[in-house]
Amino acid sequence: MKLRRTTWSLVLAGALAMSAACSPGTGGGGGGDGKSFEFWSFTAINQKASVDAYRDKHPDVEVKLTEVGTSTETAQALTTALAGGKVPDLVLIQGDDLPKFVQQPQNFVDLRTLGADDVKGDYLDWVMGQSTAKGGEVVGIPTDVGGMAVAYRTDLFAAAGLPTDRDQVSALWPTWEAFIETGKRYTQATGKAFVDNAATSVFSQAVNQGAQKYYDDGGELIYATNPEVKAAFDVGVKAATAGITAKQPSFSSGWSAGMAQGQFATLAAPSWMLNAIRSNAPDTKGKWDIAKVPGEWGNWGGSYLAIPKGAKNPQAAWSYIKEMQSPQGQLEHFVRSGALPSTPSVYKDDKMAFAKDEFFSNAPTGTIYTDSLLGLKPFRIGPDTSAINQELGNAIANVEQSGGNAATAWDDAVRNTKTAIGK
Amino acid sequence: MTGTLTPARIAAPPPPPSPAGAARRLRDRLTPYGYIAPFFVLFAVFGLFPLLFTFYVALFDWNPIGDRTFIGVDNFTRMFADPRFWNAAGNTLSIWVLSTVPQLLLALLLAHVLNHARLRFALFFRMVVLVPYITSVAATAIVFAQLFDRDYGLLNWLLGLVGIDPVDFTGSTWGSHVLIATMVAWRWFGYNTLLYLASLQAISREVYEAASIDGAGEWQRFRHITVPALRPIIIFTVVTSTIGGLQIFTEPLLLSGGGGLTCGAVRQCQTLTLFLYEQGFGQFQFGYGSAIGVALFVMVVVIAAVNYVLSRRLRGEGR
Repeated sequence: MKLRRTTWSLVLAGALAMSAACSPGTGGGGGGDGKSFEFWSFTAINQKASVDAYRDKHPDVEVKLTEVGTSTETAQALTTALAGGKVPDLVLIQGDDLPKFVQQPQNFVDLRTLGADDVKGDYLDWVMGQSTAKGGEVVGIPTDVGGMAVAYRTDLFAAAGLPTDRDQVSALWPTWEAFIETGKRYTQATGKAFVDNAATSVFSQAVNQGAQKYYDDGGELIYATNPEVKAAFDVGVKAATAGITAKQPSFSSGWSAGMAQGQFATLAAPSWMLNAIRSNAPDTKGKWDIAKVPGEWGNWGGSYLAIPKGAKNPQAAWSYIKEMQSPQGQLEHFVRSGALPSTPSVYKDDKMAFAKDEFFSNAPTGTIYTDSLLGLKPFRIGPDTSAINQELGNAIANVEQSGGNAATAWDDAVRNTKTAIGK
Repeated sequence: MTGTLTPARIAAPPPPPSPAGAARRLRDRLTPYGYIAPFFVLFAVFGLFPLLFTFYVALFDWNPIGDRTFIGVDNFTRMFADPRFWNAAGNTLSIWVLSTVPQLLLALLLAHVLNHARLRFALFFRMVVLVPYITSVAATAIVFAQLFDRDYGLLNWLLGLVGIDPVDFTGSTWGSHVLIATMVAWRWFGYNTLLYLASLQAISREVYEAASIDGAGEWQRFRHITVPALRPIIIFTVVTSTIGGLQIFTEPLLLSGGGGLTCGAVRQCQTLTLFLYEQGFGQFQFGYGSAIGVALFVMVVVIAAVNYVLSRRLRGEGR
């Protein structure tokens, strides 16, 4: 019996794969009533708000929303579902997880068959490009993008003798070097950590500001040779060794507790992070503000809606996409939940240009994040982007948290990445 | 052999062959197999088939939503050259030693104490030691992670009171091993205590009393009566905790919190099963994950064989 347990999980996977191989090929549009559809989303991004709004307008349509887990867990569940043949009608996929699915477009309904060509022009070109497969199949329609910024605690900044006005704070760090110098000033004045950790708040943001990241425009891996990646990594290591970090891995329990207790004064804040801050530290309302990210432009994150090939109600799912992800739909979603639209035509709309966030000292979130997207040089995201992110970030976290050698960190990171992705 | 066969029975003539009799004999012969069939059918479906299928998948580069290519033993050569595999194997071994040794020693001592004739409320204590065992692993992991937290944990707060610097239990290699081992030991010591206790109850009290009269102290009685009497059951618990130790999964997974399937920046607490899961269901390399599963299987078989040899030799000694 023990033997069975060692292998049961693999076995399950194997059985699922088998059943996929045996299940009859299901095309789009099989047997649905067109009035209900099943929707898999991930937690913490409040898709429920969108679904509720849609239900209000279409009381006859039934939406079964399931929040599967984190974005990674949702992508894993989707992969298992695709292998097993029992899939939802609509699924939300996070940007970094998308390339794996775009590489296998036969698993999804080509949205051009439902009319994607008509709406393609509404979205930022480079965002749309990431969900288009080699053969031109459109796998997903973008929902939101991340943009980038830095959230900071005004009360802690004041206590450290730093300015608190968001323009003056932004002026403190035109570059990442200046951000680290500011951190040293803060830590010297207060004896406390300046930023939550180096891997997420410094490296992950810095590496998302390059014109190329881990892949060149032809799809070749260049993570080991791209000077922009190396520069971002070096900045991350520098932050890790500067003694300004709280050494709290993002999304860990210590990180949430540290945020609520003011253990650190700043953290990376792509637009989707604002919800995490609100829910982890509700008592700090009004003590936060948002400044520009060092280097000023770039994008981190964003998601896509896709319809799996075996969906029972592709038409109902498409109606939802078309209505809720239209420029107007995304603008309304921004007003309700703060997710940054991927439809540039609404960026100058008053509802965005004058949007203010009470929790963050009435920061003009609309303009801060859309500004960070302007001047953006889009880079290519590939099937191993997620894995490379993890290995490089881990190498920095090792220096920061476990006393790893900073001098050999880059070589270690490249070696580990090669082992992990086999290339 | 105490049974005897009477000559009359041996000499009894065989019944005359008839078609009906042959059918009945066949039925009689097959009936027992029918009774035991459910187990073997279930075993074949849920045990044997998946096992063989895992061997099969291990020979492929298997993408669950894309292509699968036959690559022979490449997954295995890759595994043996993979430092992450050896790291996971080392972590598993280290956590196993750290958890099993103190756990079994503690269980042995506790069983000896609980077996004591003069202990009041013995039944109460015997039941209480089982409480950790029936607590959900997830709940245990969450509570322990908070107790051992670097900045907000109770344990580091207590250490701070006596002037010791806080220990980063999840961030450091040995710290995370100690933490996981503590969780495992806490969960299982009560179970093993009861196993030992059951075995101890079989020893006659008179042996202990005779030893006392001969002037044997508490420690001598423990060493010369309790431990030898428990030898077979000790071997059994060592083997079961070894097999359990090879499969530690939930504790490190829940412990890593935001860290995901690597259990820390340098995979400091990633065990073999966690590595298997990371490759199979995180990276979706089913073939490579299956290869790790096969390696685990081989290890378990080797340990089971060692157990067989040991217990046979032990039985031989007893004669």
